[in-house]
Amino acid sequence: MIKESYNVSEDSELVKAALDGNKEAFGAIVTRYQKMVARTVKGMLGDSVYSEDIGQEVFIKLYYSLSEFRGEAKLSTYIQRIAVNLTLNEMKRRKRFFSMFSQKGNNELYEYEVPDHDNEERREASEIVAKALQTMDPKFRIIVTMRMLQGYSTKETAEILNLPLGTVLSRLSRAQEQLKKILKKL
Amino acid sequence: MNSSEIKNLLISSLNSDADLVETSSLLEEEGISYDFSKNFSEKVLDKIFIAGLAISHEMDFLKTLNFVFYRIALTGIAAIVLLLISIYLKEGSLSFNSFLGIHDNYDESIVSLLTGN
Repeated sequence: MIKESYNVSEDSELVKAALDGNKEAFGAIVTRYQKMVARTVKGMLGDSVYSEDIGQEVFIKLYYSLSEFRGEAKLSTYIQRIAVNLTLNEMKRRKRFFSMFSQKGNNELYEYEVPDHDNEERREASEIVAKALQTMDPKFRIIVTMRMLQGYSTKETAEILNLPLGTVLSRLSRAQEQLKKILKKL
Repeated sequence: MNSSEIKNLLISSLNSDADLVETSSLLEEEGISYDFSKNFSEKVLDKIFIAGLAISHEMDFLKTLNFVFYRIALTGIAAIVLLLISIYLKEGSLSFNSFLGIHDNYDESIVSLLTGN
């Protein structure tokens, strides 16, 4: 269980306590940001057990690199960068793996796992989003995930992805074109 | 929201002037939300603090290995330097022949060495 007082602590206090070896403080960081990481990882990789593993890896990597966090950027941005990098690495690994065993594009090999819903309309909505995201080109998918699921502005997206603002804007417009085409087929 | 409304919402979320906070909350209302399993944070903490011990042992071993490697490398370098000094003192130069231990031999001296005459 996470100590109640840590739930209201500032990020900087939690980081300091976690660096002193406080397990509960780090637990509070995980609880605070797990949903944000889930949106990035599951949005890009699909909702599967592998995504959960990547999510765990994000926080393990954060723990071991916490001493390098200087507080220049927000903790959420720092975590988001780790999540994006690990997810992109996993996508590259999958692409290599699939290209060894199949002549098909790797998009055709993704599993469209969607969360269980009792409501048919909600299930359909989840399926549309999952299919659309998984079919998109990875470089557009990341932009769409940041914007649509995380609600980041273009400037914030550029900062997290370490890309020039112009590149993000141009990818955003191309992503929109691609999304229109994909959604037409669904 | 029906499927075409969802599709429109997705497309409009990529407009540069879109209200992103509203879009993501609308999507969440429609059940498009992502989270990890219930005991996610416990799993992460267990991995760090239980498996972390194994990692720290591994790190200690690697540090020791690194230290031993440097000690061996430094000893090797010291031995090479001593060898060079001794060759220089003995032969008076550090030529290739001195390294190989070949002196200025003449054919006659080789013959006499081989035949013993």
